[in-house]
Amino acid sequence: MKRLLPKISLHTVMIIGVLVTIFPFVWVALMGTHSRSDIFSSPPPFYVGDNLLVNYEKLLEVMPFWTVLFNSLYVSVLGTAGAVLFCSMCAYGFFAYDFKGKNIVFGVMIASMMVPPILTIIPSFLTIKFLGILDTHFALWFPGVANAFGIFLIRQYMVNSITRDLLDAAKVDGASDFRIYWSVVLPLIKPALATLAIVMFIGLWNNFLSPLILISSPEKYVLTLALRSVQSVANSPWGAIMLGTFLSMVPLLLAFMFFSKQMMAGLTAGAVKG
Amino acid sequence: MASVELKNLSKSFGEVEVLHQLNLTVEEGEFVALVGPSGCGKSTLLRIIAGLEEATSGEVLMDDKWVNDLTPRERNIAVVFQSYALYPHMTVEENMGFNLRISGLSKPDIKQRVSEAADILDLGDLMKRKPSQLSGGQRQRVAMGRALVRNPDTFLFDEPLSNLDAKLRVQMREEIKRLHQRVRTTSIYVTHDQIEAMTLADRVVIMKDGRIQQIGTPTELYKNPANVFVAAFIGSPSMNLLDGRLESKGKNKTLVLADGSNLSVNTKPDLPADGDVVVGLRPEHLKLVQGKGTKNVLSGSVDLIEPTGAQNHLKISLAGQSLAVVDSSLAPLALDDTIKVTIAPEQIHVFAK
Repeated sequence: MKRLLPKISLHTVMIIGVLVTIFPFVWVALMGTHSRSDIFSSPPPFYVGDNLLVNYEKLLEVMPFWTVLFNSLYVSVLGTAGAVLFCSMCAYGFFAYDFKGKNIVFGVMIASMMVPPILTIIPSFLTIKFLGILDTHFALWFPGVANAFGIFLIRQYMVNSITRDLLDAAKVDGASDFRIYWSVVLPLIKPALATLAIVMFIGLWNNFLSPLILISSPEKYVLTLALRSVQSVANSPWGAIMLGTFLSMVPLLLAFMFFSKQMMAGLTAGAVKG
Repeated sequence: MASVELKNLSKSFGEVEVLHQLNLTVEEGEFVALVGPSGCGKSTLLRIIAGLEEATSGEVLMDDKWVNDLTPRERNIAVVFQSYALYPHMTVEENMGFNLRISGLSKPDIKQRVSEAADILDLGDLMKRKPSQLSGGQRQRVAMGRALVRNPDTFLFDEPLSNLDAKLRVQMREEIKRLHQRVRTTSIYVTHDQIEAMTLADRVVIMKDGRIQQIGTPTELYKNPANVFVAAFIGSPSMNLLDGRLESKGKNKTLVLADGSNLSVNTKPDLPADGDVVVGLRPEHLKLVQGKGTKNVLSGSVDLIEPTGAQNHLKISLAGQSLAVVDSSLAPLALDDTIKVTIAPEQIHVFAK
């Protein structure tokens, strides 16, 4: 009994934690099956309702849901792939080469991470307007592909996991700079790439502020923006919105189910030197 | 195979000059060891020869061709690194074949050359393993295989055995020697271990503070060290160095030590002028004697006895200095015994102070 007690209390705490964490998701899913009047009834219905199909039809009526979902996927996938490629290239540059002012450039880059993102909204809007890419998906995913966080994360991982000798060995073997990056460095930093990919994908998927500022055509809306745009003070189709919200979480949940192991490994990578 | 020649080679990192005007010729097929204490510039020199580092001034010639501007690949060298530097994500086979793959060789050709090299180094069973699944000695052999497979003109070894335990080191040393005797490729071998250098190399280059102290065969370095540094560096246990004064009496030269004892030395052309000198006596050349009538005798009291089985290593205190003696006769001695040792005049080394 004495040995069981700590175990039971630990599990109780963890189970409560799990319930608190998944409660909003479950509730969103359940509300997606109810009508607006049911949702606002008292007590709120905490069971599966019978309004799913009606809500789905309503959802398609108020927004081109699948187009919007595709837009979100498009922006997130391109942004993630771009970030993994360009951040790792930049990081490789900082890691493998010695050039004048390297530490200054790196320092300024790190310092830029301390600027609150909210402060950069207006300058970035003006820049994007100047470039003539307002109201395009390109403006959503491209500016973030080489970001300070990603470069820093990957460079630190390289410092810990790749020795100078390895780069020298590849040079002696006759590999070009790009070949060393591609065939030797990239395979060795997979956990860091996975971490960055997860962080970028979630960030882009959940991004609301930039689409709100940069996108004006409804057919270019991403999920966050579309779901927000159908909410109004009176008469929001809450059942449909909840269904849409739940459906927008499905890709992330699926991704987590398949890649949870790599995600954990990636997020704790470097914590313990192996 | 290629000869390697360095002409007035210097290297600075910012203000710090690590190599000073080095000149060295390595003949085709020769095995040369660069040896010296850490920080003497030997690894930097190897990296310059490899083309991984640029010389600040001076020339690197291979087969009489100027190669300063060539990449490591164009120089056709192979390097075995201290850390092995195997690609962790590739199997042994892929590691060894990587440079052939870059060269664009066909898959069957790569397979054949890799398996030839694997046969030489007895790696046949390990081909599908990753480096993390190999022991230290096996990794070392793979690193050598990777160098061997490309058929280089010159092999460069950068302290390849220093990560291995003592027993394995001796074994790998033998393998490297056998390998060189078999392929006869020009080899340059960096180490801080004088035993490794002496046993492996045809010629040894001794370096200190970025300068070459002496170049010679192992026997030459042992018998005729050019200066105190080389004398102390070569030989184990290292040479005893005592302060003394050189005096001439007619044709005879005598050394007077601090305790007043005299040692007569042979007249040699490289003997320094009379005055204060450093006297070098190898521990294994000092012989225990009893009774009188022998020349060149020093006496002192036993300070420390270290039995090693075949020999006893003694420390004798003599005129305030400690003198190491290797006693192969295994004489039964106790601490504080007063003993006498003698040395032949031709085995005494004298260096200018």
